[in-house]
Amino acid sequence: MERKIALIALFAAFIAALGLIPKFTLAFGIPITAQSLGIMLCGTVLGAKRGALAVLLFLLLVAMGLPLLAGGRGGLGLFVSPSAGFLIGWPVAAFVTGLIVEKWRAAPLSIVAGIGSVIGGIIVLYPFGIIGLSIVLEKSIVESTLLMAAFIPGDAIKAVLAGAITAALAKARPMSVLSRA
Amino acid sequence: MISLTSPVETWAHRWPAGLKLGSLCIATLFLFSQEALWFHASVFAATLLLYCLPGALFFTSGIRRLFALWPFVVLVLIWHFLIDARVEGLVVTLRLLSAVAIANLVTMTTKLSQIIDVIRWISSPLRRFGLDTRVLEIGIALVIRFAPTLIDKGGQLAQSWSARSHKKPRWKIVMPFAVLAIDDAEHVANAIKARGGL
Amino acid sequence: MNRNLLISDSDNLSATIEMTGVSFSREGSTLLSDIGLSVREKRIGIVGRNGSGKTTLALVLSGLAVAAQGEVRICGVDVVKDRKAALRTVGILFQNPDHQIIFSTVEEELGFGLLQMGHSKSETAQKVAAVLQGFDKDHWAKAPTFQLSQGQKKLVCLMAILAMKPKVVILDEPFAGLDMPTRLQLTRYFDRIDAALIHISHSPESLRDYERVIWLDNGRIKQDGSAAATLSAFTKHMYDLGGQDDISDLTG
Repeated sequence: MERKIALIALFAAFIAALGLIPKFTLAFGIPITAQSLGIMLCGTVLGAKRGALAVLLFLLLVAMGLPLLAGGRGGLGLFVSPSAGFLIGWPVAAFVTGLIVEKWRAAPLSIVAGIGSVIGGIIVLYPFGIIGLSIVLEKSIVESTLLMAAFIPGDAIKAVLAGAITAALAKARPMSVLSRA
Repeated sequence: MISLTSPVETWAHRWPAGLKLGSLCIATLFLFSQEALWFHASVFAATLLLYCLPGALFFTSGIRRLFALWPFVVLVLIWHFLIDARVEGLVVTLRLLSAVAIANLVTMTTKLSQIIDVIRWISSPLRRFGLDTRVLEIGIALVIRFAPTLIDKGGQLAQSWSARSHKKPRWKIVMPFAVLAIDDAEHVANAIKARGGL
Repeated sequence: MNRNLLISDSDNLSATIEMTGVSFSREGSTLLSDIGLSVREKRIGIVGRNGSGKTTLALVLSGLAVAAQGEVRICGVDVVKDRKAALRTVGILFQNPDHQIIFSTVEEELGFGLLQMGHSKSETAQKVAAVLQGFDKDHWAKAPTFQLSQGQKKLVCLMAILAMKPKVVILDEPFAGLDMPTRLQLTRYFDRIDAALIHISHSPESLRDYERVIWLDNGRIKQDGSAAATLSAFTKHMYDLGGQDDISDLTG
């Protein structure tokens, strides 16, 4: 019990830290946040239920007004902003990603975690983000999809990284990768 | 961890947090149900006035936070200009700014402890279903405690990278960073157990 | 400065520690093997090299790690099975205070264990205030734990433990990474603790005045006796090893 709560809370803090480490950019100098990588890792490492709980805990603290989102943003305003859909979709994304890693044991972990992250972090997440954007900016679904498509390559790279990182974590700390425990 | 509550004490700081959150929900729903330009223009003007009342410091820190929205504002205005729907463009922009500004206003005038009380109140019915809400409170406390520590440790990893590379730290530090978070979690679990567990 | 003894309302101060046939292994490697120990002294030192099993012994003694074989009783309490009684009996100061501090302010950190023991909020507030006062640190109540210095964090951990009034306090290398003035200041606080102290260290100097010192080597007790005898044998052996190059040996 204590371990599970501690891992959930520390991963919530980990998502925050990924967005707030000074002078840290992900790959190819793209100034995109590593926080969505954190969401994927919550699923691949903690599994469906606990991964989603870690993300929910993170969002709760953001809503409470702590500046934990990349760029030091936080507060209730984010949940009516154009990116609100993505925030709401995050726990679902972590859940689906985690579910895939928990259930699909036939292939190597790096591949399963990578594919799980693509399905959870892109295929499941983007509809949430797109619908949110279309409501707030009064765009059609097609227009919103076109706007968001620009971010898909970055998230695809993150999914591959999530796969590699999860496999490395399973070697370094096998006991703590709850999705496969 | 410093919350985004404004250090400038306003009259709204004394209002009950639950009331503020409830009115925020209603205000946001109402905002999204209206389409008239005059309505949104006057709401935005009124919101700006609310930001002005507590003084210059409050105003500037509030407005600075709205600036994060500029890419969307530029995008919407150019888009609607191109499709020749300027009025709709203005409505969408003003509504976006007001909605975010009003929500931020609640955040800026409500102390963290008050919000925790509201969460405790909202989650209390869950106790009847056997859910231990104390676990939620400890979870919140742990994140508040460990987010700055982890940011610090991540910064040290990035530094250790920079000490040996002219390039900026990249994804390679995420794996050792996750190991640090996991190890911290195992230690904290022990620390909680050492004082009675959950 | 307040010179009173810290933790003073315990009814019976005589502490007994009994370990029988304790073995502990993790992921295939044996960290403790067949440790038997009976302790009545109030100042006990434990020395040993890195990896000799000192920290594991501390975790087993406090009931946080469960030994595969054997039993640990402190003042008659089975610290693994009876966690509630264990809380009143034994406190442990972790090697790294960052692994121990759970909350963002000093007063929350000190209060947590007390609330866990079933004290009411007002009782807890009183007891926390009393502990802070005992250490002349009333002004620390609202201080953010994250910004304290390493030595200050150590002291917060110590206060949090003493607030729970245990009969045995385990100190796991309490001086690691601290400068000399901080060590001396902490030593003064340790001296004022009237519970039994088990002090784990790899530096013999800090254990000179202890009643009994146990030398742990490779998960076994190598020597057990008076501070003078154990420490001089330990120091000599450490110097001998210092001349060799066993740093190159890989384990497992």
